[in-house]
Amino acid sequence: MTLTAPGRDRDRGRAPGGRPPSRYPSGRRLLLSTDHKRIGLLVLGTSLALLFLLGVLALLMRAQLARPESGFLDSAVYNQFFTIHGSGMIYLVMTPFAIGLGVYLVPLQVGAPNIALPRTTLLGYWLYATGAVIMLAGFATPHGAHAAGWFSYPPLADGRYSPGPGSDMWVAGVFLSTAGVILMGWAVLWTALRKRAEGMTMLRMPLFSWSMVATCLMVIGAFPALLAALVLLGIGRADPSVFDSNLWIIGYQHLFWFYGHPVVYVMFFPYLAAVGEVLATFARRPFFGFRLTVLSLLVFAGLSMSVWGHHMFTTGQATNDYYSLTSIALLVPAGIEYFAMLGTILGGALVFRPPMLFALAFIPQFLIGGLTGIMVGTPVIDYQAHDSYFVVAHLHYVLFAGSAFGLFAAFYFWFPKVTGAMLDDRLSHVHFWLLVAGTNLTFLPMFFLGLQGMSRRIVSYAEFDGFGTLNLLASIGAGLLAVAMLVFVYNVWTSLRWPRPAGDDPWQGQTLEWATSSPPPRLNYTPEHPLPPITSYAPLYDLRRTEDGRAH
Amino acid sequence: MLTRHPALLVVAGWTLFNGLLFALLAGYGEGAVAMWLWAGSLALLAGATAAVLWSVRRGPEQHRRYRLVTGGAAAVLPAAAGAGLLGLATVYGWWMAALAVPVLALAALLALAGT
Repeated sequence: MTLTAPGRDRDRGRAPGGRPPSRYPSGRRLLLSTDHKRIGLLVLGTSLALLFLLGVLALLMRAQLARPESGFLDSAVYNQFFTIHGSGMIYLVMTPFAIGLGVYLVPLQVGAPNIALPRTTLLGYWLYATGAVIMLAGFATPHGAHAAGWFSYPPLADGRYSPGPGSDMWVAGVFLSTAGVILMGWAVLWTALRKRAEGMTMLRMPLFSWSMVATCLMVIGAFPALLAALVLLGIGRADPSVFDSNLWIIGYQHLFWFYGHPVVYVMFFPYLAAVGEVLATFARRPFFGFRLTVLSLLVFAGLSMSVWGHHMFTTGQATNDYYSLTSIALLVPAGIEYFAMLGTILGGALVFRPPMLFALAFIPQFLIGGLTGIMVGTPVIDYQAHDSYFVVAHLHYVLFAGSAFGLFAAFYFWFPKVTGAMLDDRLSHVHFWLLVAGTNLTFLPMFFLGLQGMSRRIVSYAEFDGFGTLNLLASIGAGLLAVAMLVFVYNVWTSLRWPRPAGDDPWQGQTLEWATSSPPPRLNYTPEHPLPPITSYAPLYDLRRTEDGRAH
Repeated sequence: MLTRHPALLVVAGWTLFNGLLFALLAGYGEGAVAMWLWAGSLALLAGATAAVLWSVRRGPEQHRRYRLVTGGAAAVLPAAAGAGLLGLATVYGWWMAALAVPVLALAALLALAGT
């Protein structure tokens, strides 16, 4: 690999003999670096910080719902909390974290020294961060933050029914954040398509990089629809008479859900692929059914662009037959991916380290989210379950029991590579078991609450409704989740404060990033840590097998 | 062309698959708003396909030599701040857009200077 003209880029590697580089970059070097790893860390760090902040809002909501007729939170405040919790988790946490993983990992996995369009990527981060600040600053305005739900349908979200600058700030903040994510997604896609090292053919890209290709195709195809929806909402807030016409009310829903369904897969594919890489590494074998899984990811992503209308079944103004057909067709690629994951486990010699635990828990938990998604993708069931806690349970099984477990599998897996330090295994196990217990205790009762008729977004319920016990269980589960997250933070903090060196490849990884140092150097691969021969989608596994063969 | 350039094959194939699903939806008689919406998305994907086509004609499929970014990224912060001010202008009035102009001009100057 030859590199030309790093030139005036001020944060490149230091000259030999100079002061050794600090372990953690700071100030200008971090905030304005064009190194994809630092931009990736900015995105991942910001979204994790927001995960905790928005998680606190959820905890306060669960405190309100723990008992019937509770007055812990005012209804206006409750509305703001569920809106900012829901929209923040989607626009500011799960989606950016998924793209941030791509920013950090894809150049390493395809053997490139940096991401394509690094300054555009950095601009994407800063737009995302600026949008997050503007969105959350709504709490400081006289009417408080936006309170019309994460999809903010008009006319509820227009200037008549949601007055005040908090809602306008929400529109501006979501617009900026989404624009930033689109820029970052485009850079990740271009890196995978056009910046691969010699020998890295498309079919030798690891599963995670392939998932980012599928993910970023959805980002560039679907996310601009959200920008258009927000422009329409902004116009409608300035002149609410726009939404006197049914055309624009339904038009807004189409625009929103054209983004709103693919974004679920943007928040799923990277985590699914991370789980796939973890399963293969800790099963000590290459990923089973790799090519078919890659194809299924692309088909899955393509189909996901065609199912948005299933969120609009109850409007009576969508072509239900078509959207139901394509929604159920999603089972085919999803089934292939599940068989591939199970095939990887069944043929392997499993090692139960913390990333593997999260990956294994992902499989059944996401299955619950996925199958209930197929249920509500069927009009007859959706008419019954729409706007009930059944839907809340379904989406949390997808995004928390599924994607967040994939997020943690990825975090535990790549933390040693990113920081050069190992996390504490004992604390990781405590985090895992608390998280499993808390997740299922929180979200499983919500299915039954939905079936019993509890509506989503309600601030309180009467004692005679009979929702009390299940809500109390869900709130206890939320408390467990909070404790789990505190254990996680403590583990990360102590591991960074008193690091135990991880070495370059603590897990016997299979993909290129494990061939370089931990943390990787500025340009990813150096003469001391050169690119190994790229023989397949698991080149380090091949190398290890060849060396074992020679030894025998 | 497509078989020699798998990156192009992926993006073009994905766009075509979307086009196929779009045609199927048209067959079901979906309303005009939804059809225009998806057609707009298809245009974006066609643009992405064209960009990849342009790129594969100019450069190799895989790289032995990389050209790295030579300038700094100082323009990025004022650019994002300017965009933020424009966003806030939609909340607090268009006078804030006037504040965004010099900030965005500074970003443009820094970008041109390559610092």
